[in-house]
Amino acid sequence: MAAIYSLYIINKSGGLIFYKDYGSAGRMDTNDSLRVASLWHSMHAISQQLSPTVGCLGIELLEADTFDLHCFQSLTGTKLFVVCEPGTQHMEGLLKVIYELYTDYVLKNPFYEMEMPIRCELFDINLSQAIQKDRVALLGR
Amino acid sequence: MAPVAPRSGDAIFASVEHVNAELFTLTYGAIVRQLLTDLEEVEEVNKQLDQMGYNIGVRLIDEFLAKSNVSRCVDFKETADVIAKIGFKMFLGVGASVTNWDADGTCCSIVLEDNPLVDFVELPDTCQGLYYCNILSGVVRGALEMVSMKTEVTWVRDMLRGDDAFELQVKLLKQVPEEYPYKDDE
Amino acid sequence: MIGAGKIKQYSNVLDKPLSKGKQEVSSSAFAFLFSELVQYNQTQVDNIAELERRLEDAGYAVGARVLELLCHRDKGNRRETRLLGILSFVHSTVWKVLFGKVADSLEKGTEHEDEYMISEKELLVNRFISIPKDMGTFNCGAFVAGIVRGVLDGAGFPAVVTAHFVPMEGQHRPRTTILIKFGEEVLRREARLEHGNFNDLVKAIIATPADVKYTISFLHSAYDLSHE
Repeated sequence: MAAIYSLYIINKSGGLIFYKDYGSAGRMDTNDSLRVASLWHSMHAISQQLSPTVGCLGIELLEADTFDLHCFQSLTGTKLFVVCEPGTQHMEGLLKVIYELYTDYVLKNPFYEMEMPIRCELFDINLSQAIQKDRVALLGR
Repeated sequence: MAPVAPRSGDAIFASVEHVNAELFTLTYGAIVRQLLTDLEEVEEVNKQLDQMGYNIGVRLIDEFLAKSNVSRCVDFKETADVIAKIGFKMFLGVGASVTNWDADGTCCSIVLEDNPLVDFVELPDTCQGLYYCNILSGVVRGALEMVSMKTEVTWVRDMLRGDDAFELQVKLLKQVPEEYPYKDDE
Repeated sequence: MIGAGKIKQYSNVLDKPLSKGKQEVSSSAFAFLFSELVQYNQTQVDNIAELERRLEDAGYAVGARVLELLCHRDKGNRRETRLLGILSFVHSTVWKVLFGKVADSLEKGTEHEDEYMISEKELLVNRFISIPKDMGTFNCGAFVAGIVRGVLDGAGFPAVVTAHFVPMEGQHRPRTTILIKFGEEVLRREARLEHGNFNDLVKAIIATPADVKYTISFLHSAYDLSHE
């Protein structure tokens, strides 16, 4: 039933600072998730240069047969992306919500070191609520 | 995705949660006092306040971007405007204006309409060299660095030192271009 | 040159009218500032106990000033002189001004006569803070404990004040309890005052016309009336 498979946050140098699996599909071990993160970081950068549109900010959505990948990059270079069931709606909105949770529960936490992996209990709690809410909304349709 | 229009500083400030400015002011005072005790030299305190501001700036910028819907500014002029009109308002609830542009548009002044940091404050004789609000210059510098702008931010006028306003000078040193992991010749 | 902003200039800070305390900043501005206060202090200490002490010291400086400010502004230059009075002043007035709400609860310690607890489900300063596992029971509420100690000390109620996480049944997050342990002299003075007040009361009754009836209930001790 899970519409969202996983969530990644990568810092501006391409390091994976947060990864979470939701549901059973597309589960990955740590090495694979690191690989996906750095691959995506590079592809995202290359896409900006390849794009015929001037001022392109990189891939926002990648559609595949078995999944969609929605990506949001902040102006500071931090990237958040979700991998989800093809056709899942409202992922831009969800990414925005997660970005705000990141500014609240990660960046305002004095024990979080910039650019380092995120280990903040309050971020986890609020994140799972946000994802849950999103799932409920999806199921309710 | 269609770009969302940036929100006004007033609208954002009205929509966020608030705390009493006195808690903020007194906490800042406690920080300055700690630094004066720890570092002794006023000059060192100025540096540390600027550094602490910088640390805040590099974190706060993301919240600023998330809440304001501001997208990439076309030039430094627009950037300065956005800081003054939206940035100061959104966090401190005070407006600011941009003035004193130099000819090539890389240096300007931000004049604050109010400054919650300095309520209750008077510099004693022993601290005349202190830039009490130096944390603010650091915040601006740190925040801009995260969006690829190296700046130098200094106080031009400081009411605690007898001037008639709080005026920050922001000077653009260089705009760091987007860094790509792959260069054309590789 | 462009002229000054809207701020009026005073040659002496004391000439400036005292603000009404209605001005606000965004809670994010405070959160970032507080976070930086914690980060700076982390660079100045070797262990968690020291970090707690330094945050408490910073809070003390705030508390001492808050007492002066509120006594002047809200209480016409009077301050509480009795134990329960000052506790309720902290729990209600101080909390309301600083944190925008009255504290969730004020309780007396069950095991010790000299202990009181102010609890808050979510302390404002802890709002965005997750304590790393390796820091154990550390609580940034030490800053608030410092504020409380600053207020109490300034009002003549020296106390040891500490902040603790207390797990709550059915809640994801523990609440924070600010534990106040008053100095011995405070309790001695309090006992004396209680006695004094009782004597005043007796005098008042004697001076009252006989048709007015009083009910006096004793809490836990009998007082010797013979010498009155």
